[in-house]
Amino acid sequence: MKLLTIALFGCIFFANCLTADAIYEFDNSIEEKRFYSLISEIRCPKCTSGSIASSDVPVSRDLKQKVYELILAGSTDKEIKAYVTDRFGASSDYKPAFEGANYLLWLGPFIFLGILMLVFLSNRRL
Amino acid sequence: MIGEIAHFLALASALGLILVLIFNAFFYSAGRHANQDILSYKLFHQSCLLIFISFGLYIYLAITDDFSISYIANHSNSQLPIFYKITSIWSAHEGSMFLWIVFLTLWSTLFINSLSFQHQLKKGTMLMLTIIILGFLLFLLITSNPFERILPFGVLEGADINPVLQDPALAIHPPLLYLGYVGFVISFSFITAYLFHGDIHYPWEKDIKNWSLIAWIFLTVGITLGSWWAYYELGWGGYWFWDPVENVALMPWLAATAFMHSLFASSKSNILKTWTLFLGILIFALSLFGAFIVRSGIIDSVHSFANDPQRGLYLLGFSGFITLISLGIFAYRLPNMQSSKLIVTGSKESFLSMNNILMLTAIFSIFLGVTYPLILEFINGDKVSIGPPYYNTIFAPLILLTSIFIMISLEALWQRGMQARTLLVAVTPTFVISSLILYFIWYFVQIFSFLAYIGIYSGLLIIISYLLKGAISLKNKTYINKGSFIAHLGLGLLFFAVSMNSILSYQKNINLFLGEQQFINNSISEFKFLDLQNIKASNHDVVSAEIFIVHDGQPIFLNPEKRKYFARGQITSETAIHASILKDTYLTIGDQLDDGSWTFSLQINYFIKWIWLSSALMVIGILMTIFKKKIS
Amino acid sequence: MNAIYRSLIILLPLIVLITYGTILITDQDDALVYFEPKEFPQFDLQDLEDREIDLAAFNGISLLNVWASWCITCLVEHPFLTQLSKNEITLIGLNYKDSQVKAKQWLGKRGDPYIFSIYDPRGDLAFDLGVTGAPETFLIFNQQIIGHIQGELNQEKWQSTLVPLINAATMGNQ
Repeated sequence: MKLLTIALFGCIFFANCLTADAIYEFDNSIEEKRFYSLISEIRCPKCTSGSIASSDVPVSRDLKQKVYELILAGSTDKEIKAYVTDRFGASSDYKPAFEGANYLLWLGPFIFLGILMLVFLSNRRL
Repeated sequence: MIGEIAHFLALASALGLILVLIFNAFFYSAGRHANQDILSYKLFHQSCLLIFISFGLYIYLAITDDFSISYIANHSNSQLPIFYKITSIWSAHEGSMFLWIVFLTLWSTLFINSLSFQHQLKKGTMLMLTIIILGFLLFLLITSNPFERILPFGVLEGADINPVLQDPALAIHPPLLYLGYVGFVISFSFITAYLFHGDIHYPWEKDIKNWSLIAWIFLTVGITLGSWWAYYELGWGGYWFWDPVENVALMPWLAATAFMHSLFASSKSNILKTWTLFLGILIFALSLFGAFIVRSGIIDSVHSFANDPQRGLYLLGFSGFITLISLGIFAYRLPNMQSSKLIVTGSKESFLSMNNILMLTAIFSIFLGVTYPLILEFINGDKVSIGPPYYNTIFAPLILLTSIFIMISLEALWQRGMQARTLLVAVTPTFVISSLILYFIWYFVQIFSFLAYIGIYSGLLIIISYLLKGAISLKNKTYINKGSFIAHLGLGLLFFAVSMNSILSYQKNINLFLGEQQFINNSISEFKFLDLQNIKASNHDVVSAEIFIVHDGQPIFLNPEKRKYFARGQITSETAIHASILKDTYLTIGDQLDDGSWTFSLQINYFIKWIWLSSALMVIGILMTIFKKKIS
Repeated sequence: MNAIYRSLIILLPLIVLITYGTILITDQDDALVYFEPKEFPQFDLQDLEDREIDLAAFNGISLLNVWASWCITCLVEHPFLTQLSKNEITLIGLNYKDSQVKAKQWLGKRGDPYIFSIYDPRGDLAFDLGVTGAPETFLIFNQQIIGHIQGELNQEKWQSTLVPLINAATMGNQ
């Protein structure tokens, strides 16, 4: 009876009972690590910022579930990310693709470093 | 009535500051005149005092539940404990801006007061500070007035404050952070006055050194507190998310750290002066940039205050204005500031210069990460997300470079180069020991991550090289800077702990019924769901679970909770943490499933305590530096 | 050399200032999501009345509106949608993560502006469309998605965002 009351109370309290099981069982620890790594790199489409790993909104749960299923089905990390960005846009990948304008993004800091070092090697009075 | 008085005092203060400016402009050409100066300073200090009184009255209004004040009605509530009534003042834009100004004023009045009447830069600094305080005060009074009334009668009860904000760490995090951010207005203004005045030979470093170190401490503590809060409150086990608002706090911190080091070189051997002056200006400029980002709504962040492009424009414009004045004067004086001596390759100065370069690169990387998405979206509508994957990738090599330079610089001498042979002899043990330890770690842990290992190695290089240096100095009874020793150990520890945390930590989602127990893995041999209670508290319902865990042989009881607050229907999760030396056992309740069982999220987070320790070590190291000077 | 450094010291902050100022001033409607036209995803669902869905409904111009009986903003949006359905454009519904019974009751109570509503209780099709919640609206033209609005659809968004897209499409530019 106590269990039933708790079950009822819990279900009214948290109207999340309709959602699927949030248990991600992996047989193999490599897949498990891939899962946790991937979900920390996929942005929550509904939140102002943050990955789906640190979000509990419905679309994040759906995404985590999908990533889980895709890993089990044998998709590679690249394929999974493509699957997500096809649907939710390029901004759902926290690792911007290394192409086009993004070269400035990834290489910028090192170019900056190089320039500064050149400047200060040639001008020693500063 | 009180509200009107407080408002009036703030306005009077603004007027006072305007008078200071007009007065000084008027008498500028007439030359220095003691009586004018006395009046000037008095007016300045009185205006500052008025702001303090105004804020004091505002606190009184908050404590006494004056809900006719719109801001207090929106952010406070009569049921709150007094502590949270006060802290609700800085929970949103208008109130936190007010606090910012109070601190600006506090630093300013204390600093100006500390300068003797004859001090050649007292007037210039005061004027610069007046302009800055006035700019923000007008901003507050015109666009973000905390004294707005709800007419004609006010409301009977305040809005319910977000329960997430009712937390001691989160409540004092803004004041500490602001004290840090804002404290660098001193170096900013003083340096500007110094450059304007043009007397190159004045030993300006001494006057602002301790003030800047203290501001650095506040900034460090403020950032760490925010991190710590995020860790125990948000329930995800993370402590740093490279969120835009975190980033704009990190940038001034990096600039301030570079400034501290550069100041050291500059005061000791009259070198790196231009660097130090530039950094002293940059820190506050970055603080201003941070204030702009957070309050303009240009960037979406969980932290940001309400959007208002108008306010954003004012802040941007005003910040740009004073930064350009400062940098303009700096650029004008640049040729005069360059040192007469060349920096010798391999000298301590050259390494400090390199440190500045690396810090500046780090600042640039963060700035790029924050700005790039905005520009890209503006130009062609493409959206790109930048977060931990980007920053971790960029920072790893920078940190490695920094560590190697720190290690080598320990052997460097002032104004002289190093012998290659001496260097090799000194540095090889550190490389070897660090590599051995790294190998040992890999062997024991069997997990590999390229970026994390770079971080671990960097941390090891710093720790080992300082420990070795410390041991040698102890044995030979030679001098070692104790504050620097402790602070750098802290830095090495930070790199080490953060990296180890990222490779070792793991998570398990567990599903079981009340009364059931499970074997999780070799480390967590028992996880037992002992009890579940439903409790009613004054403003929320609670579901509280009692869990018994055997973790590496140690029995642990944890009580995670889920709360539902009545006012907004908001659900929060209270994490249960058992922190031991090497790892934290971290537990949150998930959902109840259709079959009546409950899910739990168990995380084992490694080296968390060491992260907090590293921050404490850095602060202790700097405190030792401040007080060592005072003793000698 | 010195002159270059000195001018850079002034110039760089100035560029930052102007860049941020420009971005701030320019009004960007962030409820609209721009992207390349996409094929409408395949799906295996029926409508609220358990009938099969004729894909020919996606030829021509139409709006696909994501809604649910639990969604409060959808209530706000509903009158405007009803108005649109009468005069301007065909409306197709996507009932998202809802109970079939509650959904039909909701429509019964407030009126049904949709020619039909796809019943998507688990949000499968919504997921493939990139839906993050309700309400959201997609502009469909000849089996392709050419526009996406997140949040409430109102007169202003319709006029400023969807109408131009519709005009562009129907004039054969797509």
